[in-house]
Amino acid sequence: MVTASGGRSERKQQTRRLLIDTAIDLMAERGITDTRTIDVAERAGVAHGTVFVHFPTREDLIDAVVGEHADRIAGRLHELAGGGVTVRDVLAAHLRGLAEHEAFHARLVMEGPLLPPYARATLLGIQSAISGHLAQAAEQGMAAGVVRRMPVHLLFNTWLGLVHHYLVNRALFAPGGSVVERWGPTLLDHYMGLIGPAKEEGET
Amino acid sequence: MTTTQCIACGMPMNKPEDHAVGDVSKDYCVHCARPDGTMVSREEARVGLTAFMVRTQGIDESAAMGAVDEMMAKLPAWKET
Repeated sequence: MVTASGGRSERKQQTRRLLIDTAIDLMAERGITDTRTIDVAERAGVAHGTVFVHFPTREDLIDAVVGEHADRIAGRLHELAGGGVTVRDVLAAHLRGLAEHEAFHARLVMEGPLLPPYARATLLGIQSAISGHLAQAAEQGMAAGVVRRMPVHLLFNTWLGLVHHYLVNRALFAPGGSVVERWGPTLLDHYMGLIGPAKEEGET
Repeated sequence: MTTTQCIACGMPMNKPEDHAVGDVSKDYCVHCARPDGTMVSREEARVGLTAFMVRTQGIDESAAMGAVDEMMAKLPAWKET
């Protein structure tokens, strides 16, 4: 039997979910810092005050939105199975997660330094999910001689720098479309070539 | 199996081996467990997460610790009520 208070609690959760989903869409379109709580309320079809029932401050809303985004991206990476995961597997999973949430993630990368401390830390948390899986796969690859030996943070930052450059400039690399879909496979192949074992001169 | 999050570091846990000692009734992950299966202390978690960030992302140690403190403040295991 659904009690009255149980129904209220469920409705409250649904409204919270609606506000977060709406805010993610709006922030992806307009920017995280440029999206006002009243815009979220109007798009969601609720009273402005309802936003503050769930999120007492705008910062709380941003924290919740960035946290939800982080869960979605990290979830993709944690779908990878344990032992035999390769560097290519990890980076392909990263690209899949980005492709699904590309517009918001691009905003997050662009506006990261301007966001509240918890949102900034959450972006680093997303990166930790990638760097952790990458380090594990890369160390196995180095031991097997299929990945060039280098510090794992440089391996990670080289990938992130490449992907973020395309993401932040998506309007130049893939106007009107998904830069991850258009460029992801090329970037992945290019990167794998860079980190592969060094070849002797003349060797193909 | 449904995905839950480690109460001590936030890592998603969707496989039995993600949980401490492979026990799905544990609400903390394999990385937040000591060898005897008990959960790490707040300070152990803080130091471990910071070292992980420094090693895999190359971030300055004090900057990494600041980010870890921000994240830990909202995790169920360490949140001050």
